[in-house]
Amino acid sequence: MAVAEIRGLTVQYGRFTALSDFSVDIPEGCVGLLGPNGAGKTTLIKTILGFVKPATGGGHVLGADILREGPLIRQRVGLMPEQDCHIPGMSAVAFVAYAGELAGMPGNHALRRSHEVLEYCGLGEARYRLVETYSTGMKQRIKLAQALIHGPKLLLLDEPTNGLDPRGREEMLELIRSVSHGKNVNVIVSSHLLPDIERTCDQVIVVAQGKLRAQGLIKDLRKVEGAPIDVELKEENPKFMQALQERGVTLLSAHRNIYRVQGKGLPSDVGKIVFDAATAVGTQVRGYDLAQRSLEEAFLEVIR
Amino acid sequence: MSSPIADLTYRGYDGPLGGVSKRWWAIAKYQIKKQVKNRFLWVLMAASGWYYAIMIIIFFFLEQMAVNNGPQGEQALKGFLANIVWKDQFLLGFSFGQFLFFVMTWILGAASIANDNRANALLVYLSKPCTKADYLLGKWLGIFLPLLLMQLIPTLFFWLYGMTSFASYGFVGAAGWLILKMIPIAVLGSALSASVILGVSSMFNQGRIAGIVFAGLYMVSNFFTVFVKIAILFQGGHGRSRIADIPPALLNLFYCSIDGIQIAIAKNILGTAGSQPFGGGGARQRMAEVPVPSPIFTALIWLALCAAGWAIAWRRVRAVEVVG
Repeated sequence: MAVAEIRGLTVQYGRFTALSDFSVDIPEGCVGLLGPNGAGKTTLIKTILGFVKPATGGGHVLGADILREGPLIRQRVGLMPEQDCHIPGMSAVAFVAYAGELAGMPGNHALRRSHEVLEYCGLGEARYRLVETYSTGMKQRIKLAQALIHGPKLLLLDEPTNGLDPRGREEMLELIRSVSHGKNVNVIVSSHLLPDIERTCDQVIVVAQGKLRAQGLIKDLRKVEGAPIDVELKEENPKFMQALQERGVTLLSAHRNIYRVQGKGLPSDVGKIVFDAATAVGTQVRGYDLAQRSLEEAFLEVIR
Repeated sequence: MSSPIADLTYRGYDGPLGGVSKRWWAIAKYQIKKQVKNRFLWVLMAASGWYYAIMIIIFFFLEQMAVNNGPQGEQALKGFLANIVWKDQFLLGFSFGQFLFFVMTWILGAASIANDNRANALLVYLSKPCTKADYLLGKWLGIFLPLLLMQLIPTLFFWLYGMTSFASYGFVGAAGWLILKMIPIAVLGSALSASVILGVSSMFNQGRIAGIVFAGLYMVSNFFTVFVKIAILFQGGHGRSRIADIPPALLNLFYCSIDGIQIAIAKNILGTAGSQPFGGGGARQRMAEVPVPSPIFTALIWLALCAAGWAIAWRRVRAVEVVG
């Protein structure tokens, strides 16, 4: 089931068309929103939240109409913005509780849950400090906490690891992964950092020039056409290459001791040939897997 | 960083969630809670009632004299009360409190939007089910309601003192109903101040700068009020004929300030031009006060200032760049 269904959305800023006849079903789970700068990711999220009125088209987010029910959508969605943002003069616990009250929670519920969410986000011991005094990493965490306070069914995370040191980044990615898996919270992560998307998301939506370029599981997107196989030997062996070619298997590339090969038939048939060739030349096969591109390669190809 | 005894697992929230309307009340409630904890505001409120306090002290001593000196003291109290026009006392109390109301407005409102601008707080507000109207109305009420309360408390105190101490001297008949007139005066005055400071605050990223600009606006516009007072003095100070020599347009300049327009509202609602403080001067002196401006002129200035404040704030507060 889709958490958001967007149909024929066109959004224009004056003469500039930010989204053009854009349709997408955003599935449940953790979804990465990828695209180069100016692709229309921001506009898509603004439209989902009901801030931008599209010229044509429409859609639903968690069952609410994006054209007419912006506030209702924002009550069901939690947004962690990219920019540093807080309400000045407040301690973390007061800030997060206030965010809950703004979302419609009764004051006592908001305060209790504020403590819980801050603990969850790793700010338990710093919850009585003024938010202004927080480090960049702590500010990222508190943005996540204020987005989670009202128990949203959909979380929109924009560049969640911005400004974090490697350890902080690891912890934030772990938090995102934890909240998006098995907690009944759907997450959309908009990030330029493809490794972050790979770590946290199962699926991606690629947007470029205001259009949907690709959508699907990351593992599908990374698949290479023709299903070649990467074979890793114990050490480089030119005879192995020759043996493969003699058996009708095409060598696509060789990088040190890793060979990308493609044969006819099922991968299991090709596998038999590969092992046969290895035995023949007396080398050891250390790895055997369907060849995959990096997400970066896949992304660049999609937006080209 | 997290507590060893804490349950760190994430749990969804399945408690009650209110509707998406009336989010402005959550904003106003927070603002009010924060403001009422500011002790300095309560000190200012008490100080803003200084005229009422002096009147109460004078009344108290005259009462004591009446009690201690028998019929002679009673006569002195009656003579003093005969010169007192109660509605003028309320007008004077309100007028003399204006500067401190300005300081209170400054404290309550200068940072209300400006500091939010600095900290990007709009992202937090607008990513929740709050609309721009909710945000502005909440902020406005967060200034308006404390200001209204702080304007009314000294007045109410003076009125209660009058009701309990001077009922037998005709206070109930002459001024018993005045509190009902003071409420709309305070409502309109607070609404004006809240609207203006809201607009000013929305224009800046720092509360201090917004405060300085508001103070400048107050002082510059107050120049007209002071100018007319001086003009009256130069005309001879007192007497209907002297005031009549000053063109009405010039006299109306008296009301072209944040203070002045509030005094105009008070004069219109109370139906008096005022008199000398502490019942001094008698009827002859009363004529020297700047005449009551026309209700239309008053309403137009009030509306223009309120609308300007709201229009500026409405234009400045935008559904900001939510992402990237």
